[in-house]
Amino acid sequence: MSEPVVVAESLNVRFADQCVLDDVSFTVNRGEVFALLGGNGAGKSTTLKTFLGTVAPTSGSASVLGHSVTSDSDFIRSKVAYLPESVMLYGHLTGMENIEYFLSLADVKRSASDIEAALKRVALQADAWHKKLADYSKGMRQKTAIALALLRSAPVLFLDEPTSGLDPSAIDEFNQLVTALSEAGSTVFMVTHDVYGACQVAHRIGLLDQGKIVGVFERSGSELIDTEQVHTAFAKRNA
Amino acid sequence: MLFADFYREMRFLSKQRYIVLFLSAVFALSAFAVWSGLHETKLQQATIERLLEKDTVDRENVLAGHGDYGSAAYYSFHVTYSEPSSLAFAAMGQRDTFPWKHRIRMLALEGQIYETDAENPELSLFGRFDFAFIVSVLLPIFVILLLHDLRSGEKEAGRYDLLVATAKKQHKLWLSRALVITTGLALAMLVPLLVGAAIMQAPLAKTAAMVLITLAHLLFWVVVTVIAGRMMLARGQNSPRIASALLGVWLLATVIVPVVSDTLINQSITGPNGGEVVLTQREAVNGAWDQPYEVTWDEFLKTHPEWADYTDMASSFDWKWYYGFQQAGDQHAAELSKAYRDTIVRKDVAAGKASLMSPAMLTQRLMLSLASTDISASLAYEQDVRDFHASLRQFYYPLLFKGGEFELEQLADMPLYRQRLSN
Ligand SMILES: Nc1ncnc2c1ncn2[C@@H]1O[C@H](COP(=O)(O)OP(=O)(O)OP(=O)(O)O)[C@@H](O)[C@H]1O
Ligand SMILES: [Mg+2]
Repeated sequence: MSEPVVVAESLNVRFADQCVLDDVSFTVNRGEVFALLGGNGAGKSTTLKTFLGTVAPTSGSASVLGHSVTSDSDFIRSKVAYLPESVMLYGHLTGMENIEYFLSLADVKRSASDIEAALKRVALQADAWHKKLADYSKGMRQKTAIALALLRSAPVLFLDEPTSGLDPSAIDEFNQLVTALSEAGSTVFMVTHDVYGACQVAHRIGLLDQGKIVGVFERSGSELIDTEQVHTAFAKRNA
Repeated sequence: MLFADFYREMRFLSKQRYIVLFLSAVFALSAFAVWSGLHETKLQQATIERLLEKDTVDRENVLAGHGDYGSAAYYSFHVTYSEPSSLAFAAMGQRDTFPWKHRIRMLALEGQIYETDAENPELSLFGRFDFAFIVSVLLPIFVILLLHDLRSGEKEAGRYDLLVATAKKQHKLWLSRALVITTGLALAMLVPLLVGAAIMQAPLAKTAAMVLITLAHLLFWVVVTVIAGRMMLARGQNSPRIASALLGVWLLATVIVPVVSDTLINQSITGPNGGEVVLTQREAVNGAWDQPYEVTWDEFLKTHPEWADYTDMASSFDWKWYYGFQQAGDQHAAELSKAYRDTIVRKDVAAGKASLMSPAMLTQRLMLSLASTDISASLAYEQDVRDFHASLRQFYYPLLFKGGEFELEQLADMPLYRQRLSN
């Protein structure tokens, strides 16, 4: 576990006069699940978007698989599957059609049975597959987008609040999915404010507060990160 | 590669009912405009045909019923006309303002030409609802409505980041979407035009030029809309603001510039109007009855010295004197008439310059020029009428002045009006 895949070095992002990311540095290695944990407005989504190239860093550098976001964002996007914070797909298309459309945008070819397998894997009920997305619940949309991210078969996953809107059993299934992906060699970079969920799946957790990384927690051996300890640190920051 | 993107976006957009309905509406508008243009063309052709059918018969009846050349000329009419070109259906232009048919007698001409002339030629855009109107005035609005939120719409729907993060090459995504919509608009507008052109058997080169003008205007607005949408989004503006800004540009280019330039041109370039020409000529003709004969002959001989030895009259009324003062009346009004036409030309030239500030005006002027329905075409027809009238005088003067016996066969060689413009 020492091949760096996602690297942030002294990343700074400012919007107007607001400093949103303040000297953020971290590394996510191949096969690792890294969770950036923080309260609302801490700068989590901004960090992700900086890696996608939709937010430009004011200073510092960010790279994926050795390619810089400022010069090579097309390459990075081809290697990354992104799950946005609030999943909005096309309401006039069905779940299947949405996935087909986005896959073809990425120039990824998957058969209908591949897509169905992915939808089964995220436990989206089969009778919804051919319904218009406008009629989906939030959790159903989330599952569709997760299935899309899986189907990209990208070596790196960027997940923004992946379990928001999922019911408890779906969260459990999702956590197992992430673990399986990382065991299969995928690198997962997720941002969340769900302490328990992060501790379940992450090998490492960075605590982000007002744009600064204020703490890092790591698994020791095969033991999960201690939820209690992270929760205390998190609560102290967000008191 | 771009073809694959195009095909994907075509499939995608064809599932968006709003876009399909919009394009269908554009198609229906264009089809209606073409249909009504064809209808008007057919009406004009039928009118000309009807006039021509009666023309020869009526004249032959009149000629047979008279015993001297003077009254034969006095009572016979000659149909002149300007056929609508094969593309006039797409751009009726000045055919709605200037006359395209006159029944002419050998009397003084100016009054006959400008009899119906009442108003100024239309220099701005808002005339008939024809294909040219749709392309020059409405097309920009279609483009703005369909493309202003190309990116900002996705941003507002919360899909922008996922789209950008997923697309292999993001500019290809926007480019192919814009291209599909542009193609859809082009087809919706042009298919009716092409059908109309096929029905009218319009020449290929002119039809192609009409298509190119449409595409050029379409592309101009697509580029403006896409670039403005992108730049304004980058500055944090939302779709309604982008649309308002673009509609402002449309208002400026399509309404304000044409209307203001039309007003300025009409104010700054002035000259006599058609009514004054008619009045001047008629006063001269009416006055001639009370003038000594020499006054008429002096004026007439200025332009026709060859008849100087034939002005003796057997009685107090002679047709040659009568036509002499008709000619003199035209000569009296000639300068004013020339000034009137020069004013029209000067206004037209000025409007041509003004159109460089308004793509809509430019588009329409180019289309009218292609369809031979612009001011030049109207003036060319007027010149045809003048030439024909001159040839009629040329034909009758020897018969009138040499004073031979009336023979019907002599009239067999009478000139016939033939339209010179052809397409
Ligand atoms: N485009 C933008 N322009 C200006 N300010 C922004 C922009 N995007 C984010 N911000 C600001 O940056 C800060 C961090 O936002 P960010 O979305 O990264 O927070 P977050 O940690 O993801 O929060 P949440 O848990 O609510 O999703 C916030 O104060 C937000 O107002
Ligand atoms: Mg966020």
